[in-house]
Amino acid sequence: MISLRRITKRSEPYVLAAIILLSLLIQVRSGQFFSGNNLVDLARSLIVPALFSVGCMMVIVSGGIDVSFPAIASLAMYVTDKLLLASNYSGNVILAYAISAGLGLLMGALNGFLIGFLRLPTLVVTLGTSSLYTGLMFGAFSASASDVPPSIAKHGKEILFTATNPTMGLTSNMPSQILILIAVLILAFFLLRYTMLGRGIYAIGGDETAAERAGFNVRGIKMFLYCFVGVLAGITGIARISMMSYADPSTMLGMEMTVIAAVVLGGTRVTGGMGTLTGTILGVALMTILSNSLILIGIPTYWTRVFTGAVIIIGTGVTAHQTISTRRRRAQSQKAAA
Amino acid sequence: MKRRFLLVVSLVMVFALAVPLFAQSYDPMSFKSKKPMSQWKIALVPKDATNAWFVRMEVGVKQFAKDTGINAFQKGPAKTDAAMQAQVIEDLIAQGVDAICVVPVDPAALEPVLGLALSRGIVVIDHEGASQQNCLYDIEAFSNQGLGQTIMVELAKMMGEKGVYTTMVGNVTNASHNEWADAGVAYAKAHYPNMTLLAAEPRVEIMDNLDTAYERAKELFKKYPNLKGIFGTSSLSSPGVARAIEELGLKGKAFVTSVGLPNENKVYLKDGTLQSVLLWDPRDAGYAQLAMAVKILKGEKIENGCNLTAPGWTSMQFAPGSTKVLQGKGWITITKDNVDSFGF
Amino acid sequence: MAASVLRVEGITKSFGGVQALKGVNFDIAPGEIHCLAGENGSGKSTLIKVVSGVYEPDAGKIEINGQQFSHLTPKEAIGLGIQVIYQDFSVFPNLTVMENLALNNELMDKRKLMSYKRARAIAGNAVSQIEFDVDLDERVENLSVADRQLIAICRALLQEAKLIIMDEPTSALTKKEVKALFAVIKRLQARGLPILFVSHKLDEVFEISERYTILRSGENVARGNTKELDRKTFVFHMTGRQFEDEFYRPSAAKREPILSVRELSLQGAYSDISFDLSPGEILGVTGLLGSGRTELVETLFGISQPDAGKIFIRGKEVRIKSVKSAIRKGIGYVPSDRLTEGLFLPQSVERNLAITALDRLSDHFGFLRRSAIADMTRKWIGELSIAAKSPALPVWALSGGNQQKVVLARWLANDLSILMLNGPTMGVDIGSKYDIHVLMRELAARGLAIIIVSDDLPEVLACASRILVMRDGAFVQELDPSATTESKLSELSTGIA
Repeated sequence: MISLRRITKRSEPYVLAAIILLSLLIQVRSGQFFSGNNLVDLARSLIVPALFSVGCMMVIVSGGIDVSFPAIASLAMYVTDKLLLASNYSGNVILAYAISAGLGLLMGALNGFLIGFLRLPTLVVTLGTSSLYTGLMFGAFSASASDVPPSIAKHGKEILFTATNPTMGLTSNMPSQILILIAVLILAFFLLRYTMLGRGIYAIGGDETAAERAGFNVRGIKMFLYCFVGVLAGITGIARISMMSYADPSTMLGMEMTVIAAVVLGGTRVTGGMGTLTGTILGVALMTILSNSLILIGIPTYWTRVFTGAVIIIGTGVTAHQTISTRRRRAQSQKAAA
Repeated sequence: MKRRFLLVVSLVMVFALAVPLFAQSYDPMSFKSKKPMSQWKIALVPKDATNAWFVRMEVGVKQFAKDTGINAFQKGPAKTDAAMQAQVIEDLIAQGVDAICVVPVDPAALEPVLGLALSRGIVVIDHEGASQQNCLYDIEAFSNQGLGQTIMVELAKMMGEKGVYTTMVGNVTNASHNEWADAGVAYAKAHYPNMTLLAAEPRVEIMDNLDTAYERAKELFKKYPNLKGIFGTSSLSSPGVARAIEELGLKGKAFVTSVGLPNENKVYLKDGTLQSVLLWDPRDAGYAQLAMAVKILKGEKIENGCNLTAPGWTSMQFAPGSTKVLQGKGWITITKDNVDSFGF
Repeated sequence: MAASVLRVEGITKSFGGVQALKGVNFDIAPGEIHCLAGENGSGKSTLIKVVSGVYEPDAGKIEINGQQFSHLTPKEAIGLGIQVIYQDFSVFPNLTVMENLALNNELMDKRKLMSYKRARAIAGNAVSQIEFDVDLDERVENLSVADRQLIAICRALLQEAKLIIMDEPTSALTKKEVKALFAVIKRLQARGLPILFVSHKLDEVFEISERYTILRSGENVARGNTKELDRKTFVFHMTGRQFEDEFYRPSAAKREPILSVRELSLQGAYSDISFDLSPGEILGVTGLLGSGRTELVETLFGISQPDAGKIFIRGKEVRIKSVKSAIRKGIGYVPSDRLTEGLFLPQSVERNLAITALDRLSDHFGFLRRSAIADMTRKWIGELSIAAKSPALPVWALSGGNQQKVVLARWLANDLSILMLNGPTMGVDIGSKYDIHVLMRELAARGLAIIIVSDDLPEVLACASRILVMRDGAFVQELDPSATTESKLSELSTGIA
């Protein structure tokens, strides 16, 4: 009984229900949703936002907010791309990931330093660094769309399997980058649940002063957190350009809004302290399915923004309503007890 | 250096506020040069001297200098930056050039310095700056109408003039993309009775993003099995849709074309997923700008049909309602045969 | 006293010229419950911080279990078993009970990985020590304040506490929860653990402690056994003032009621409430939290609408549709703990008074009339005898009681005839509390009708001319304060004889 109550209080079941309803609607309208190749297409579209959302969720859980990850990802992948092109490197793609992750680490460390050590507000810092990194990219590096080096292009052609739609013969390839997502999810799950570092992230988001008094190294945890987001962003940048074999510096800019929305939709509390990987991935999945299915449902693409906006408002509204009604119930039960 | 830069910036800012109010209109005929042709100095100012597109434009400039013997040269900022571009133009005015051709980074930011040039009797020709006030003429490679029709002609050729197609724009708010698409659809209605526009999704938006173009194309082909062609506008639509066509296994069954850069489409042109994309050659645009400047220095009257002697720029027409903006038919078709010859 | 767990001698501490502690001595014996009492600003918090190593004293000695220190670091203090339970408890609301209890230990052991099995064992052991029945998997934010406090206590025990310092532990608790807390404290004492109980509430000091130390302005003015202490002495040591026993009698002349309520009901809150209120009366409404007392006055202030019943003002039936209409009808309401809030402390007395009456103080063009403001300020400073040297003085320069007067004056400036106060002295120290009581009696004597809602029984007895006891949304009985006792009131409001 108690566990059932706990489950209905969480938002994951609601997001899952929304996903199921939406899927059925798409299936009815197009007969295409549950085809192998459509699912593969959705998984492919999910990879980049899902990678971003993991770091984003961790930051929000810690009580902060990060809007700089698309800028970090863009600058890291762009510099890496240009470096490899200039050096005519044709070896393994691991190097590309390593360079980009390293650059992401440096950029994340700047966020971490400003937030953890100088204690500046996270939104201001990341808005600032976001502008700084995009400015560097378009200003100092005068970035424009570019080719990718052969190692990255080859990586982009690596596929796990091909799904064929039996009725229409259409085929879709599952890109190997999904393995990166799976690895990141496993790592993040272990980190958040079974390390003191991960519990520290939740503790800081619950009550920073209490975390300090308890003996958590709050500065260190924040530094780690923003570095982690930076590394993750660097990796995501390479995953993105390899899947398209095309390095467009502006392709990821602006994603922070939908990613943050997906994370909040997945039940992560905006004020910090609460958030799960399951919820986050469900949130991202809902947003991805929605933006990739309007044509399948038969709605003109102009409506994408309207629908995305509506889902965010309804989704976060439901979450907020739940919080309020729980609080009210609690107040009432306390009254009854008194 | 730094101080001078600041000075330029502040001048630009002051003039940017003041000049549009006093934008003077000049009679192009009064710019006829009294000097002999051999002493003319004509400069072309691109957005960015190092960018491959403008490196190609310089090929046209050099060709023009060689063909005519006029001292014509290209000089641009080291990166795409409106303030730096203004400074380059200032230097050119100080050097006493006879004509300046410019591809403005930001037309509004150049108003003061171009106004200064005009007041000194220097001919100013814009390219891809239709909103520029302080210039004698702005020349464009194409009219929106003409380009839209041409894209449709290309698409119809691929589709065998029959089947269902839809249009794709970078953004619903992008006015030129929508004009191209409208013109293309109207042309198909008039000339290709066997081609039909997909009624449920007549215009698809890709949010100026290659990945979105790819995702939307996949959805379209899944939902509408008889969809045969995509009329693209944004240069991102061809590579994005081509990737979807290739992956879905629709090569040879579904087609796309749009404006596109050679390098971005090279792979798909060569493997046959794409047949052609459209472009205007910056080499010809450079050549035409200089030809235009020479016409004015010679004191020729500019009328509909004037010939700027570059391919596609031979019969310029005034844009509807304008006496300043001239449009050509300067597009070229890029196929697997010529894709390697551009250098960008 | 042969051995002390903690003994401090001659502790002084000053902050930028302000002497917070002026040579304080006190000691705690093993297994004793010791109360450290004092008004706000008496130096209690500073002393706690010196003992727990947060502040370094300027002079003096700290002796813990026979070891001498001139000062401590927070780590040393924890190592010596000194545990402070802060007013905010320092718990993680978003984590489970289990984690809240176990995380500190895991951190102390410098663990890198979290074991939920180990955590459950630690937490289970901790709650069983004080017989605290709680679901280890519940998130702490879903617990009551009292339960959160118990978690903080459990956590202190896990740190091998040798002395637990509780900083104002009852300030957010209901009466029932305070009882439960005291039971826990006694249980800890039975295990030989000494407790330093920091409070300014007189009843608690008497109920729980064996010995006491009273601080006033950074000096310890009294120490001794609680048994030998009486109320009057306690209040005198706390405040440095002598107070007379208080009671309020309205003038004998019977007056027409200004407010009459008949069979008023609000579903789920209260039902069938009838009473009259005359000018010059102070009506005390008491009852437990949830008895409907707050909802009742909120209805009279237009915050909620009754389902049934009638309200009359000066004999005329009225409907109070909104707060605005309540104010227009001359009704004022000060919600609980708002008496001290809502002041602009750095602004002058004059401006604080003028702020709610700006409409009446400005001319047709919306410009403020300086002379009107000055007149009004002078009037109310005089009427309420606010001890302010000048109306231009910032409000923070006034004493607590005088600040309260400014708040009340602000309401009175709006031609008030009925003033309702909810928990008017909650969290206020004794001196200011006395001042507020005096002020309320003065206001009533001048013809204002006042309703006090409070569960502070001595306060109700001292101020009200009539007491109405509420239980489960209904009036249980009307009482004359001079003919009743605290225990009678408590009996009636709980329904437990």
